[in-house]
Amino acid sequence: MQVAVEGPWSPLLGRLTLDAIPYNNPIIVPTFIVAALAGLVAVGAVLYYKKLGYIWREWLCSVDHKKIGVMYIILGLVMLFRGYVDGLMMRTQQAIAIGPDSPGFLGAKHGYLPPFHFDQIYSAHGTIMLIFAATPLLTGLGNIIVPLQIGARDMAFPYLNATSLWLTFAGAALVMISLFVGEFSSATWVGLMPYSEMASNPGVGVDYWMWAIQISSIGTTFNSINIIATIVKMRAPGMTWFKLPVFSWVQLTTAIIGLTAFPILTVALTLLGLDRYLGTHFFTAGMGGNFMLYINLFWIWGHPEVYFLVLPAFGVLSEVVPAFSRKALFGYPTMVAASFSIAGIGWMVWAHHFFTMGMGPDQIGFFSAATMIVGIPTGVKAFNWLFTMYRGRISYETPMLWAMISIVLLLIGGLTGMMLSASVIDYSVHDSVFVVAHFHCMVLVIGAAAFAAVIFWWPKVFGFKLNETLGKWFFWTFIAGSVLVFVPMFMAGLAGETRRLDYVFNTALAPYMLWEEAGVLVYLASVGFFVLMLIVSLWQRVPAGESPWGTERGLEWLTRTPVPFYNFAVTPHVNALDETSWRREAGAALRPTRYVPIHLPHGSGLPFILGMDVFAWGFALTWRIDWLIILTTIAMIAIVFIRSFDRNEGFIIPAEEVEAYEANINTASIFAEQPKRGHGLVGEAH
Amino acid sequence: MRVFGLVALLAPLMLAGCSVHNMVLFFPAGPMAATELHYTYLITGIMMIVIVPTLLMSLWFPIKYHISRQHKEKYTPDWTFSYVIEVLAWGIPLGIVAVLAWLSVHGIQAIDPWNPPLLAKAAPNAPVEEVDVIATDWQWVFIYPAEKLVTIDELTVPAGARVDVKLTSTQNMNGFYIPQVAPMVDAMPAMQTKDTFVISQPGDFTGFSTDFSGAGFSWMRFAVHAVTPADFTAWVQSHQGAAPLDYAAFDAHIAPPQVNYGAKPSYFTLTDPKLFGEVITAAQMGKTYPVSQALNKAVADDDAAPTAGAQ
Repeated sequence: MQVAVEGPWSPLLGRLTLDAIPYNNPIIVPTFIVAALAGLVAVGAVLYYKKLGYIWREWLCSVDHKKIGVMYIILGLVMLFRGYVDGLMMRTQQAIAIGPDSPGFLGAKHGYLPPFHFDQIYSAHGTIMLIFAATPLLTGLGNIIVPLQIGARDMAFPYLNATSLWLTFAGAALVMISLFVGEFSSATWVGLMPYSEMASNPGVGVDYWMWAIQISSIGTTFNSINIIATIVKMRAPGMTWFKLPVFSWVQLTTAIIGLTAFPILTVALTLLGLDRYLGTHFFTAGMGGNFMLYINLFWIWGHPEVYFLVLPAFGVLSEVVPAFSRKALFGYPTMVAASFSIAGIGWMVWAHHFFTMGMGPDQIGFFSAATMIVGIPTGVKAFNWLFTMYRGRISYETPMLWAMISIVLLLIGGLTGMMLSASVIDYSVHDSVFVVAHFHCMVLVIGAAAFAAVIFWWPKVFGFKLNETLGKWFFWTFIAGSVLVFVPMFMAGLAGETRRLDYVFNTALAPYMLWEEAGVLVYLASVGFFVLMLIVSLWQRVPAGESPWGTERGLEWLTRTPVPFYNFAVTPHVNALDETSWRREAGAALRPTRYVPIHLPHGSGLPFILGMDVFAWGFALTWRIDWLIILTTIAMIAIVFIRSFDRNEGFIIPAEEVEAYEANINTASIFAEQPKRGHGLVGEAH
Repeated sequence: MRVFGLVALLAPLMLAGCSVHNMVLFFPAGPMAATELHYTYLITGIMMIVIVPTLLMSLWFPIKYHISRQHKEKYTPDWTFSYVIEVLAWGIPLGIVAVLAWLSVHGIQAIDPWNPPLLAKAAPNAPVEEVDVIATDWQWVFIYPAEKLVTIDELTVPAGARVDVKLTSTQNMNGFYIPQVAPMVDAMPAMQTKDTFVISQPGDFTGFSTDFSGAGFSWMRFAVHAVTPADFTAWVQSHQGAAPLDYAAFDAHIAPPQVNYGAKPSYFTLTDPKLFGEVITAAQMGKTYPVSQALNKAVADDDAAPTAGAQ
């Protein structure tokens, strides 16, 4: 029995009507025009340069872990920009709408955004930044680096890997289309309950949010399976567990969190879907429902999800700090132990997100103490990075700058986190902007580490370095913006400002709001420098050579640069934790002397088609277009069938061809167009 | 680019100069908030034992061991493990966390909003003032069962009295929060939570909702007045004879979603002593007050027709 929905419904278009398109909104229409023009230019350029076939064969159909990683990172950066624009709009609204006499523009009573619009923006900001910016950035890094660091040819399940990517894309596309068709959720990124139920949220916004997260989190679950299988089964000969680099260790802990936590979110959202579509009462306030059930389920996923994001950032620091300190990582075994401690304790702290929801003091005491325990392994990590720098030879290339600021941010975020974990303090600042500033410190740790990683490993993938001068401008403007936004935000929290305000009643908060606005505008400069850095670096393309930084340590730097599509010409035998620096010091061979044939999988268009189909499925569910739901579900099953009967076993690159590639490595770059290769296995592969 | 670094360093200093007095959490008005602040100082202070040296190390090491000083400083590229350092790296945080966890558990036991032992000690003989609070979309309803009085968006209590607050909500979760005064506790539909506080001296404060509940959320504030017991009696007297309010009237006029833009208070005479319980029971039985998309779009929108309760 389907629930009755507010407004019109037709069998052909479901809830979709012309009114769903905000053609009269003075903010969305220009955005749409710019987005449409940018899209037209991109498509036009592809057609003009006759690159459609190249993009389809080499990218959309690719199952190569590096290309998939690059596409994840492009998605993450695009969504990071969208999330930033949301932040800019929120800050601007709060800088204008202060006090009963504040002016109103564009039809709003105060500021320029009425609550209906503002609430969608901050919900989109949180959802995008965590699920569609940070997660793809870190997943992409893991995708590119983990197989290289463990000496594998590809991920364990390349086809599944592409499926994960296109499911994430489908989710992101749903969030993006909600901007132009209908509306997004106003129920924050966590899906407040019972606010997300039909009684308070009769529109399609919550449905968009729900399906977008649902689809992309299934992609994340698949990716976790893939990472675990890859690290457990596909390490190169000689790579015992305690020669596994720390970045790969944290990817393993992260994937264990992903595999165990994301299905909980899947269940919670499915139950919410039953409530919203079939009229069940799992999470309603009455009729036997219990919204605390949702809040528990959400945070049992949500808190491990925080460590799912921050652990890869810690892994990046454990690679970048040693490289630019010209010194091996200090305390490797305790770093591994600390990673597992964080992942494990991360499971026992979820209730600290709702200390204020009537929990008894004994329960609060337990979760408060458990939360504080996370500080121990995190502190250990900070000490080990610092002692990696101690008696090293440190240089300040941009990745190192990002790594160093990341440690400082971690200390500030850690201090405020310990304060908040003490519920006696939390009672005075829970749901205030103090908390917002705290977790932004932590996501800035993640962001800074992600920038460090992108800049550090960029030459590995592209064969040229990013412009260092512009990179430093980007760094300093970003840090100045962060300080200007978040120091006043901490102070506003102590001034009693609560979260999610469309209109700020207290005029005494005006100076804080104006400083934050200044900060968010400085961020705009940093976005400009970032784009300029990309453009200038792509224009110059100064070849980086085999050792772009001169200080690389791990196995991933033993491949040629730029990394060829087959990774290692010959699977290396691993002798040490830091294999590349070990071989350099020991005078061992860096290159193979004879080549062997390589077996690789063919690309497939099915994951991309599945992603598009799942996008249509999510869109149909959101608008309740019954026939399209049925059609896309059948198509999904059909795609699984077609794949199941696929007998393609990939192709072989003969040894002579590998040798030719190695002699002219740019022809093997993942950006070079490769000849079409026939089916079937010929000869013996390695 | 150094300029931006300088701006980054100076900004907090400039801010600190002009607005410390605005940070009201540093000026508690009762024993509950004072205890919260006490623990804030204590826990932050203890954290500084580890944060300050670590912060200094993270700034000092990159400068001291910069490659430009390589002839002056020791270089030990293969020094990767030390039992002494690892024991300290685990032991120091462990010790600090043990102390902090002990403090945290004691703190929460002291200010447990259901029945704070703190108030039993700090104000053992304080008279008890009971107030039942209902959060609606998007107003605050305060019921004084003993005084048979109901107010909207105004909470007046006798200074020095122990205020026992029971909280619920008609439809959505809202956070009950009075900075400087009361711990933040959520008001939840179909459930009852409790908060307790004392305001030591007469004074005026503002309360907020902290947990987002929809389009009118930003306007959900209420005035809090702590007055002398004599003034409180006078205040109650002055509102005798206000319009009567029972569950039916509440259900018809107050509970339906509406925004009180100026947070202007209104007053009623409580004719139904079970009103608070009836609201909880109704929510448990599935009572909701649906918010239409049209209403969501109309809140604080200049073009739209004024919604009920708009000023």
